[in-house]
Amino acid sequence: MNTPLTPQSLARRSFLYRKLAGLGARFAAGNEAAIAASFGGADEAAAARNLGLADLSPRRRVGFKGPGAADWLASQGVTVPEINRCAAQADGAMLFRLGANDLMITTDIGATAALPDRLAAAWAALENPPQSPRGFPMPRQEGFCWLVLTGQHAAAAMAKICGVDLRPHRFAAGEIAQTSVARLSAVVARADISDTLAYQLFADSASAEYWWDCILDAMQEFGGRPVGTEALAAVQGAASGRA
Amino acid sequence: MKIMKCPMNGPRNISEFVWGGEVREMPDPTAASDHEWAEYVFIENNTKGVVREWWMHAPTSYWFIAERNTETDEIVRTYPATELYNSRREFK
Amino acid sequence: MSSHRLPQPYGILIDRSKAITLRFEGRDYPAFQGDTITSALFANGQRVLSRSFKYHRPRGTLSMLAQEANSLVQLPGEPSVRADTTAVPAGIDVRGQNYLGSLSRDWLTVIEWIGPFLPVGFYYKAFYKPKGVWKYWEKLVRALAGLGRIDEHAHHGYADKAYLFADVAVIGGGAAGMQAALDAAGTGAEVILIDDQPRLGGALNYARFDVEGRRGARLAEELRGRVEAARNIQVLTDAVCTGWFADNWLPITQGQRLYKLRARSVVIAAGALEQPMVFRNNDLPGIMYGSAAQRLIRLYGVKPGHRAVVATANDAGYAVALDLIEAGVTVAAVVDLRAEPSASPFASAVAARGITVHQQHTVSEALPGPGKRSLFGVEIDAITGRGVTAGRPHRIECDLLCTSVGYTPAGHLVCHSGGQLVYDAELAMLVIDRLPGGSAVAAGAVNAAFDLDAALAEGTYAGWRAAQLAGLNVGAEPRRPGARAGAAGQNHPWPIFPHPKGKEFIDFDEDLQVKDILNALADGYDDLDLVKRYSTVVMGPSQGRHSALNNMRLATVGAGRELQGATVTTQRPPFQPELLEVLGGRGFQPTRLTAMHHRHLELGAQSMPAGVWLRPAYYGAESRRAENIAAEVRAVRENVGLIDVGTLGKLEIRGPDAAELLNRMYTFAYAKQPVGRSRYVLMTDGTGAIADDGVACRVNEQHFYVTATTSGVDAVYRAMMRWNAEWRLNVDIANVTAAYAAVNLAGPKSREVLSRLVTDIDLGSEAFPYMGVREGHVAGVPARLMRVGFVGELGYEIHVPASQGEHLWDALMREGAAHGIRAFGVEAQRVLRLEKGHIIIGQDTDGLTFPQEAEMGWAIAASKPFYVGKRAIDVQAARPLTRRLVGFTLAAGTTLPEECNITVRGSEIVGRVTSIAMSASLGKAVGLAYVAPDQTEPGTRFDIKLGNGTTIQGEVVPVPFYDPENKRQEM
Repeated sequence: MNTPLTPQSLARRSFLYRKLAGLGARFAAGNEAAIAASFGGADEAAAARNLGLADLSPRRRVGFKGPGAADWLASQGVTVPEINRCAAQADGAMLFRLGANDLMITTDIGATAALPDRLAAAWAALENPPQSPRGFPMPRQEGFCWLVLTGQHAAAAMAKICGVDLRPHRFAAGEIAQTSVARLSAVVARADISDTLAYQLFADSASAEYWWDCILDAMQEFGGRPVGTEALAAVQGAASGRA
Repeated sequence: MKIMKCPMNGPRNISEFVWGGEVREMPDPTAASDHEWAEYVFIENNTKGVVREWWMHAPTSYWFIAERNTETDEIVRTYPATELYNSRREFK
Repeated sequence: MSSHRLPQPYGILIDRSKAITLRFEGRDYPAFQGDTITSALFANGQRVLSRSFKYHRPRGTLSMLAQEANSLVQLPGEPSVRADTTAVPAGIDVRGQNYLGSLSRDWLTVIEWIGPFLPVGFYYKAFYKPKGVWKYWEKLVRALAGLGRIDEHAHHGYADKAYLFADVAVIGGGAAGMQAALDAAGTGAEVILIDDQPRLGGALNYARFDVEGRRGARLAEELRGRVEAARNIQVLTDAVCTGWFADNWLPITQGQRLYKLRARSVVIAAGALEQPMVFRNNDLPGIMYGSAAQRLIRLYGVKPGHRAVVATANDAGYAVALDLIEAGVTVAAVVDLRAEPSASPFASAVAARGITVHQQHTVSEALPGPGKRSLFGVEIDAITGRGVTAGRPHRIECDLLCTSVGYTPAGHLVCHSGGQLVYDAELAMLVIDRLPGGSAVAAGAVNAAFDLDAALAEGTYAGWRAAQLAGLNVGAEPRRPGARAGAAGQNHPWPIFPHPKGKEFIDFDEDLQVKDILNALADGYDDLDLVKRYSTVVMGPSQGRHSALNNMRLATVGAGRELQGATVTTQRPPFQPELLEVLGGRGFQPTRLTAMHHRHLELGAQSMPAGVWLRPAYYGAESRRAENIAAEVRAVRENVGLIDVGTLGKLEIRGPDAAELLNRMYTFAYAKQPVGRSRYVLMTDGTGAIADDGVACRVNEQHFYVTATTSGVDAVYRAMMRWNAEWRLNVDIANVTAAYAAVNLAGPKSREVLSRLVTDIDLGSEAFPYMGVREGHVAGVPARLMRVGFVGELGYEIHVPASQGEHLWDALMREGAAHGIRAFGVEAQRVLRLEKGHIIIGQDTDGLTFPQEAEMGWAIAASKPFYVGKRAIDVQAARPLTRRLVGFTLAAGTTLPEECNITVRGSEIVGRVTSIAMSASLGKAVGLAYVAPDQTEPGTRFDIKLGNGTTIQGEVVPVPFYDPENKRQEM
């Protein structure tokens, strides 16, 4: 491509693409939308290990909610954890259990996991209305924005906007807190990227710009900055290389 | 700030919760007198001592029951609403 | 100038390598980094900081700890700053407070001469009779009183908040606090240690614990070293815990940050506050607590005076005398209030230095220097009874008087948490009576452990106990020394010596003298709480820190009550003033934006709040508001308009009981609603009042997509969840408001525009009729389309995934350009719907409106067995109506009423105007109003009272005003 991809050249757009563009993001296509791949500057992966905030809002995710949802997903070979826990799936997808029958499945950092698509297709292929309960699709890709806060200062930054004790020794990997973050109802899940502390953050997509500003503000004293998906991938790759 | 224990989400600051009024049985709307219905709609018992109340964890919109001592403001117990309401209510 | 500075090692908090300048009252004073405003001034011989609240007497520090209002000063943007503890601010002019003219020559000292005419309760007595007279006095009184000036233009600095979590919070970093922190941490507990000073150590840093004067500093250093080495102790210095709330919720201010600490258990080790002696002129600058002098000497390296008298009733006073001597101050005499000479080694050391001790004597009066700005000397006299002297005073010249007559526990936080302080007559001291249940322990001087070894042992016990309360595995219970070790003999039971000429201050903040308290009793206010409210004693900025104890003694005994077991008046948070800026923090206010929000801004939209959303009110310049709105209305009526309705609430109701849930929540009937059709929904609450409305689209037998009002949807969703927790219907309720962007494409040309972007839906009027619902694609985006008629024209509400909303907007605006499409805002929509007579919930209804009043009876399915408001509506429907909503118009040229102007009949209010607009389409004013039930016939005239008191007439007309047969929306 000769001209760089701009968010407006595709129909699907991140809820905060203007903020990202204003911060100098370089975009890459994925899931029919532009995602902030990099913000440039010195070693972005190191920034992500220190304190980074990434927007994964355009990334693929599906939800299933309502009577029978958890059982149906289990019947699809999905690992369903306890309520308020998340669990990695065989292909790297991540399942977040938000209630007895309220579940969300996201693709992975590298967007290679196809489980969300497979589940959406499997549900749609079934009879409608259903003969037996299997939950209903939830438009989590649209209703939630998806941010990832990474790095050694992530817990300290969260402590400025969230009243739940999220410090790594008190909030284990795989735990979910559904709580208030900067006065916004939110899902906070600890799903580290390799050995780097990472909180997966989901909240009202209409409030995404507000939320992004609040979190960046809270990050400032620790030298935090926005990072792109390439930095996240590097953090993931570097560690797995070591392993 | 008080801590309340949500049956689904665990202990949280009370600011995450919304009060939903006393747990009260709805009288049969077809049989109740006007007076009984007005009592049900308008009058809180305002009991001194342990009361049963509806509370909702706002981030998850999860409704549950709390037993709270209005004299000491101590939250005695919280539990899912299914403990009190476990079958479909019918109206005829 | 700095002749008052002492050499090192004095001055542990100042850095002599960093010289700075304090600007005070327009003059520059040399200071060091680490100096407070008070210490820097003292180092330069300037003792007067401010003037007192009522009599404008010059005041200096009493406690060197900001425990009284004496040391409140004015910064340019901030009044009542505590000079004792506030670091020298760089580059700004500090000023005193409460004076007219200059700090040294205050014209308002005249008030002191008329003092006899300002008795306690003066304001109540003088200004509240005759009725109304206060408003004349108020301006003058407010100008004379008060504490500093507020800068109304002060800008908010950056302040934020953070949460902290700990197993054990230790409040107070003195010997007991540090020891408690160490012992708690030893069990593995996470500990946070909070101290208001820049350096941990408490009294160890300034007081004398042995004759040699070394133990304090040595022990402080050792404990600090161990605290620093402990990985699980987090230390917050220069930090003030300002309250103690339920479940150990502790607000802590540190600079521009407010921490909200949640601890499993709390050790309160806040120490004790020295208390003043009461005698004539006890407020003169140069009279201070012994501990204040020690703070000046050891913390800031400042020599507090040249020639001192020490008045004492405990052994600490002798330690103070030794400190003064060592610092080069001449100690003229020690005045010991006690009958028996002290047996302490401190007293022996003082005697060994040849200092005269006047046993069983007191200071009966302090003698002022010029302008009462300094101390010239004291009169001392023999004590012959409680508060009584022999009347044979003799004079000692001095420029410093240090008093050491007792302490009170810094137990304010204990009181915040529901604990209690009571008076122990044997100790002549307030002691902690009870602590909040199950999660707190007190240690050190706050718990009356004055002996240093006892305080350390108490610390060890408190650390162990707090860790246990926090749920940690702890070892065997440590041995505790006897309770209140060293407390006996600290407090004199009655250091109060009334003087015939008065000015023996009980409360420095409020300028209250002994006679003021006695007069309050004489006026019949004989309970501590009544004395407090009547005289304002302990209600000043220090909240009784220096006055509660002596006031309690005076008022309780004066009222003929027992002191033993007396309790202090209620103490409330904050312990220390907090800046609103810091309480406000970052001020999180979530704002929701629709997918097309930025497109609106690009089109010049004027945004307005709608709940937590921002919506375009109209597009274009504010100066052409009316024209812009009219043009938007015209576009919809004549061509095509596009409005962003993404803020509408959106709910998915799915499952076998979906229709049953709607039947119970809404007034209409939904069981037989055909798939592919929409139906109006009207929600009422249990009292029958209208709560919300919207549209329910039946997607399939078990699936409804329901809209709700922008600001109502959260309550609607909660109500559904709440009711179904009780009903247990087999249905899933999902709030998908943010997941979908939505627009209403409206106007006679909307079908033409839409047809250019839709390939998979037949848009023909029969295939897709009014109130029809279809799913397909618009501009390549998956979409749900509804034919709606809110604005009264052919129109399509189009809902698409939020991430593609902007793309949809762009496509519609592009394709509509050839048809004169125009974006329209909320204001135009209000006019358009009013022309159709459609109500807006919350504007045309209020919290008591039931459907029949608003002519919504048509939306009620009377045969249903149940819906939430049914029983109440049935009751109301059987009664005569008291008001009804009607459409009305005005004669040409009539002034338009405001929405909310009342409708009247004679002197009786019958209703109000709820909506009003000049309709360009109809060429007349149209409105909705509540009128009396017998005023609803078309042609009836009724009175509307305008804001200016005049009355106009409205005429009832049928609704809709526009297109009464609804042909246009059903095209």
